[in-house]
Amino acid sequence: MAKNKSRQKKFDTRIDFTPMVDMNMLLITFFMLCTTMIKSQTLQIALPTNEKVDIEQQNKVKQSEAVTIIIDGKLDDNGLSKPDEGMLYYFDGMPPTGEELKNLVNSNPMKQVEFGNKTGGALPAIREILQERNKDVVKKITELKKDWKEMKFSNNEEKNDSIYQVKAREIRNDSTLKRPVVIIKATPNASYAHVVSVLDEMAINSISRYQIDRIGAVDSAMMILLQGQQTK
Amino acid sequence: MGKVKIKKKETRIDMTAMSDVTVLLLTFFMLTSTFLQKEPVTVITPPSVSEEKVPDANLLSVLVSPEGKIFLEVLGSKDSTYKSETVRADLLKNMAAEYNKTHANKVSFNAKQVDAFSKQNAFGVPMSKMAQWLDLPTDERDKALEEGPGIPINMNENPDTPNEFQMWIRAAYNSVNAELKESMVKGRGIAIKADQTTPYSVVNVVMDNLQTMKMNKFTLMTALKSEEE
Repeated sequence: MAKNKSRQKKFDTRIDFTPMVDMNMLLITFFMLCTTMIKSQTLQIALPTNEKVDIEQQNKVKQSEAVTIIIDGKLDDNGLSKPDEGMLYYFDGMPPTGEELKNLVNSNPMKQVEFGNKTGGALPAIREILQERNKDVVKKITELKKDWKEMKFSNNEEKNDSIYQVKAREIRNDSTLKRPVVIIKATPNASYAHVVSVLDEMAINSISRYQIDRIGAVDSAMMILLQGQQTK
Repeated sequence: MGKVKIKKKETRIDMTAMSDVTVLLLTFFMLTSTFLQKEPVTVITPPSVSEEKVPDANLLSVLVSPEGKIFLEVLGSKDSTYKSETVRADLLKNMAAEYNKTHANKVSFNAKQVDAFSKQNAFGVPMSKMAQWLDLPTDERDKALEEGPGIPINMNENPDTPNEFQMWIRAAYNSVNAELKESMVKGRGIAIKADQTTPYSVVNVVMDNLQTMKMNKFTLMTALKSEEE
């Protein structure tokens, strides 16, 4: 008699995880491609109100403190600005008026720099100019930065940072120091990138007083005059 | 004679550990991710040294294409009191009221259209075509947005005769979400996102319009500067 041998099949208890890993990898790739890890930065700006203000109410900028920067660019065939081409014009003081205007041909206060490559272009040039005008503040900020790096304010990194921020703001707004007022103007052809990089220079050079203004007839006249003198 | 016994090696690798790691990674990505929002135009923002991050709530961003088309995006509050959907639905209602004040051909939206609008991340069609645009199926809507003219804008310095862009700003200012109004007043609520090749004249129009609406403080979106001196 044949024995009813019930042979128990031995199952392999291990499950193959390879397909699971495959699927997970796919999902990870999907999530990696769809996420934004880097958040954009923002640059805060405040424009003056365009309501009619009395001339007396407007705080007059001292002649010696004002620096005007004019950004100009070139448009390509599609009407877009070229971010690597452009010209930067600057002059000290307020735009000339009255008698000065008549002598403009002989004594044009405006100078120009070309937006070139990073090492020798307009931005390093303008940085030098702004640093020279704002040297009192820059010097103090540099000293403060040294203290901040050595953690002199507090051992706690976060506290050290916040004390530094407060002190830096105090220095930037200190009216006893000689601080320039920068007036930024841009021609319609200037590229947005150039405007932002000039605004950026304000932050780099710790300039607290700057404003964006519309380009005036005198500014354009000076630019055309300067360009005329260049081609002669 | 002794036979050389070849040891039979197991060729299968245990994948359990690998699976563990991938699941962990997956969880991390799922929790940290904020999805890339679909935008009608791709813009490359100019670099700056500013380290301030873009707020992820209560924000009205103005997307400016290099050709000068304007689109808007609205984000609701961080917690769920005023979700982006709620704020957008409210915005459309406000905007319709604003628009009907000055235009003879009145606009109105049904519940379905408002619902479609509240799910739309970016918008930018003239109000006269808004209802028609919202009736399109989702994929066609994106295409129509890309090809459309954007929000009508012009140089206008009289706040009593606002253009459509200024109406939208006012509608956002009067939003049901008080936090949005507060951050707009503080200057953190409006962000201009423009491409670096955009001519200044285009950005200037937007800034000027904001100035007219007494929104003198706002932010410009920039990318992190790659090299540091």
